[in-house]
Amino acid sequence: MSLSNVSADLIWEITRSHNSFLVKRKSGGGVQFSRDPLNLTNKHSRKYAGFVNDKAVGVVPGEKGGVVVTTKKAGSINKPAARYTVAFGANKTARKTYKAIARQVAGYRSDLLKAAVARASAIRRSQRAVKPEPAQKLRGNAAKKAAASA
Amino acid sequence: MVAAKKHVPIVKKRSKGFMRHQSDRFMRVDSAWRKPKGIDNRVRRRFRGTLAMPSIGYGSNKKTRHMMPSGHKAFLVSNVKDVELLLMHNKTYAAEIAHNVSSRKRIEIIARAKQLSVKVTNAKAKVTTEV
Amino acid sequence: MASRPTVTIIGADGKATGTTEVLPKVFGAPIRPDIVKHVHTGMAKNKRQPYSVSEKAGHQTSAESWGTGRAVARIPRVSGGGTHRAGQAAFGNMCRSGRMFAPTKIWRKWHVKVNQGQKRFATASALAASAAAPLLMARGHQVSTVPEVPLVVDSAAFSGVNKTANALALLKAVGAGADVQKAKASKKLRAGKGKLRDRRHRQRRGPLVVYSAETDGKDLIKGFRNIPGVETSPVDALNLLQLAPGGHLGRFIVWTSAAIKELDAVYESKKGFQLPANVVAQADLTRLINSSEIQSVLRTPKGDAKTKRSNVQKKNPLRNKQVLLRLNPYAATFAKEKLGEIKEEGKPQRVPATFKTLLQE
Repeated sequence: MSLSNVSADLIWEITRSHNSFLVKRKSGGGVQFSRDPLNLTNKHSRKYAGFVNDKAVGVVPGEKGGVVVTTKKAGSINKPAARYTVAFGANKTARKTYKAIARQVAGYRSDLLKAAVARASAIRRSQRAVKPEPAQKLRGNAAKKAAASA
Repeated sequence: MVAAKKHVPIVKKRSKGFMRHQSDRFMRVDSAWRKPKGIDNRVRRRFRGTLAMPSIGYGSNKKTRHMMPSGHKAFLVSNVKDVELLLMHNKTYAAEIAHNVSSRKRIEIIARAKQLSVKVTNAKAKVTTEV
Repeated sequence: MASRPTVTIIGADGKATGTTEVLPKVFGAPIRPDIVKHVHTGMAKNKRQPYSVSEKAGHQTSAESWGTGRAVARIPRVSGGGTHRAGQAAFGNMCRSGRMFAPTKIWRKWHVKVNQGQKRFATASALAASAAAPLLMARGHQVSTVPEVPLVVDSAAFSGVNKTANALALLKAVGAGADVQKAKASKKLRAGKGKLRDRRHRQRRGPLVVYSAETDGKDLIKGFRNIPGVETSPVDALNLLQLAPGGHLGRFIVWTSAAIKELDAVYESKKGFQLPANVVAQADLTRLINSSEIQSVLRTPKGDAKTKRSNVQKKNPLRNKQVLLRLNPYAATFAKEKLGEIKEEGKPQRVPATFKTLLQE
């Protein structure tokens, strides 16, 4: 950080009650989520708040499947365009993808390692083709009618 | 659709609602709970055989508070972007589509929820037609 | 601070020109959302126009109370007969076609005086906040394509921007295109009666272009004025309502290099005003805690590396085998050799009679 009057601590205190990423709901006990792309769990918390921390990891789905891992370049908090991105294609095996992500995150922010891999896993799972729902079995009178007509 | 995370059994200490005093006697008195404030009120003074008043003791276990019988908590969504917030929380939260979302957008939301294996509590509303 | 931080100057093509500029001192001012919010609420009220209901509204009748003894409320009632209006209650705020409660007056205190020192403090604070990229993002500006915050663009790049197309092209080139697009797409119809009162649409604010009126000239205003959401301001007349719209810190500002060069002079020319100083020189808590000054005076932590947990749940040794073994190490051998299952041979022997007498003594 170039100036000593700002820090991640200060920014978090300023923005924790309201910021553009924050999603608040009254249901479910007043849950708070975050839309920040550099937030691994979508939880509104200091640890995962990507826009606040000097170092943050983001995992988003790639355009052609797979995942894209983004990290902030340390020491360039005021250079929003300075990002380090690695794309892992859909063809790469899950195990290799996770291993590579883990290796990338471990030396950078080891506390986010598990969350990063978990998110990559969840994204890959969401990219699978959705199974068509089995047709519902007829029950009661409808089943009797169908049996009679068959 | 994924099942909810394992949790302690949900215990509701009271399944009946709390009726407002004398709402059974008058049409004009709605059954929505109002705390009786009168100086001689028998319900307020907790006489035997009178209505029960809500109190903190009826509260649910903190671990199961706000939980639906499925074990999920409801999260109100209005669009696909809201559903994507639940990517990492599909075992604790279920999406509930807001009442003012059109059926065209509901279909998009439900499709995306299925990809993310997020449970939608009102998936059948406004998209199915009666035969 | 030994060396003042610098900022790179971006050219018209969006790439660094290679020259840098020392950041003006204002950017080191303390960031105080509380002060900015308070000053903003006061300043935002100073553009209001008086309104009120008619002085006569609800009072254009000669109603008089009927007094007691008529089994009706003692509210004034319209006199006369021959019309439905006669005998109806009037005047009161609870009456149909009565006057409102506490009718609004044009002499309400519409404007709020904010002390100049406070306004200057808030402006300095808002400027400092505009140099923190996370605060810009938290405010909702789309700055992910911006090379550096504060964004300083070479004044030479503004020479041809008396046309909107050129101005838009410049904003896009320096990475501010996404924010302009966002402001443009955000135009929505206002809810409520405001639609009829010349406040038909609501939309987000885009970047604020700050220029130096002397060197950059005023031509660029014409270029930017028709781009939705984009505002311009001369550097010597910065306005808190533009620097922190809604009282929220972190407006996205595009500086011309001449403006940022002039900023120090602008603050020096404000007589009797010193830039606010930070109460805490180092805002980074981790750095403070880990600094040698603090670490050298701290005592070493007491106790072991692992602390014993208090309030653990009591485990039943009859059900939990590990707890049982802790209490009774013999239980392992007992279970292993199945001593509990061995049956005694023959009948149990009778207790001798002498024992009974001994017991009863």
